[in-house]
Amino acid sequence: MRARLTTQLTGQLTTLSMVGPALVLFVVMLVVPVGLSLYLSLTDWDGYSANPAFVGLKNYVNLTHSAEAIRAGWVTLLIAAVGTVLLSVLGLGFALLVNGASRLNAFFRIVLFYPHVLSALVVGFLWSAVLGTSGVVNGWLTSKGAEVLPFLSNPNWALASLIGVLVWAGFGVNVVLYLAGLQTVSKDLLEAARIDGASTRQTFFSVTLPALAPVVTVNLVLSLVTLLKTYDLVVSLTGGGPAGSTQTAAYLILWDSFHNNALGFGSAQSVVLMVITAGLALTVARLRSRADRGVQT
Amino acid sequence: MATVQLRPLRTKGWGRIAFLVLTSVLMLVPMYLLIVSAFKSQQDILTHPFSLSPDQLTTEYLRKAATNPDFNILKGYAVTILFVVSVNVLSVALAGPVSYVIARRSERRYRMLLLLFVAGTFIPSQVLVIPVVYTLKFLGLMGTIPGFVLFETTLTLPFSIFLYAGYIMTIPASLDEAAAVDGAGQHRVFWSIVFPLMKPAVVTMVILNTFSVWNDFVNPQIILGPGSGLYTVTTGVYAAVSQYSTDYTVVFPTLLLAVAPLLVVFVLLQRHVISGLTAGATKG
Repeated sequence: MRARLTTQLTGQLTTLSMVGPALVLFVVMLVVPVGLSLYLSLTDWDGYSANPAFVGLKNYVNLTHSAEAIRAGWVTLLIAAVGTVLLSVLGLGFALLVNGASRLNAFFRIVLFYPHVLSALVVGFLWSAVLGTSGVVNGWLTSKGAEVLPFLSNPNWALASLIGVLVWAGFGVNVVLYLAGLQTVSKDLLEAARIDGASTRQTFFSVTLPALAPVVTVNLVLSLVTLLKTYDLVVSLTGGGPAGSTQTAAYLILWDSFHNNALGFGSAQSVVLMVITAGLALTVARLRSRADRGVQT
Repeated sequence: MATVQLRPLRTKGWGRIAFLVLTSVLMLVPMYLLIVSAFKSQQDILTHPFSLSPDQLTTEYLRKAATNPDFNILKGYAVTILFVVSVNVLSVALAGPVSYVIARRSERRYRMLLLLFVAGTFIPSQVLVIPVVYTLKFLGLMGTIPGFVLFETTLTLPFSIFLYAGYIMTIPASLDEAAAVDGAGQHRVFWSIVFPLMKPAVVTMVILNTFSVWNDFVNPQIILGPGSGLYTVTTGVYAAVSQYSTDYTVVFPTLLLAVAPLLVVFVLLQRHVISGLTAGATKG
């Protein structure tokens, strides 16, 4: 009896020693900070004074009439929405084009994917050297006697350039994920559809696309979560400008927290961004799984 | 029937390749500009950005960038590689055992544990870095290498545990039961039986973590800070380039030095990178 209890106890201790280290680190470096963020969002803190003053929901109320924060929110949502659609459509389109094992396809895959390997910071600096007012493209246009184009100096152009560069750098990942999904499409079903005389378009919509449903979900959630936290590229491509037109939520949060010393306000924005990110990701996942069930029944 | 279909298919094939070649050119133009501009003068970059005349090329600017007093690129590489290696080792050592327990136990509490870890993927790390600064200050680890490595490792846990647990479930449990009967403890069973079989999943995560640690900007910038004198390739590039953003003889060579090692690694490992990502996607 005693011996059995001891073995049980050692078994539990061993399990604990396998789970413990990761769990402790995760709690200390992620769960506690998220809790701290929630608490700081209810205070008026500059990051230096000893005791953060508790102000309740004041930061959240201020957030609803901060023109800057609201604009950053809309800019972020626009980037996430337009970006997600473009990444998914281009991802699936190019996956279909480079599907199949051939040397040429392997080469195209590498070319479509490689920008993802570069850091977003470097990508931004590179494209700002290409598209800037005195950059490569405009330098070349000037030397040909043409007008300079305001890629990064006009607010609307700058936002479009930012989304364009995000898509350039990111859609290769979606291509690869869709390629993975295409491997799971049943060869028998494709064959059967072809024998039944289905057109390419019919086969795509009634065989390929339903089989891809889980990968579509992964792609949408991944793109949304990634785009909602766009930061590095803003720093190096536009610096949030011109006139704040490309400031994203993540950019404004860090700016308010570290440059304006408004940590309480920055934390409130963080909490809102976290809630929106988790909410959108879960909604997409849930809608997709409902759609999948609809297909199956 | 077959002969009727053959003809339109063939013309479509050429259209496809032409379109892909055009896209490839668009994808590669910025990289081409980056490489050739690193060897040109400011005047030459602006007036003839695309030209490549051998007699005009010079390694002078590249050498200058490599010995830039503001940003010692060799030190940047060394610091970054140190971070990449430590985060990878720590990440595997911590995420491996916990994934094993999650994959092999059916109790509710272990499913909740998986959910807790996976929820971490939805938290934007830029948002986390602010409160993490205060957590690290409290622990006396702010501005230190261990502090940065521990935080960066934590960021790898959600996806690693998700991927590893899913992968371990595909490994038959009878294997580790046999070892347990022979008297091996859980740690022993995991590290000597299960872990070697997880190689594909581990390779994928190591590659993904390597890219994300190498390319991270906001976390090293804020946690290591300018005061610590420690800079990674990205924070070093930021310091060197943001000051001289219109002096392209500084910008292009510095950027080239920053991306060259990773691009070489990518070209050498591209098969593993792409198939690793593919494996991760279908398991998810």
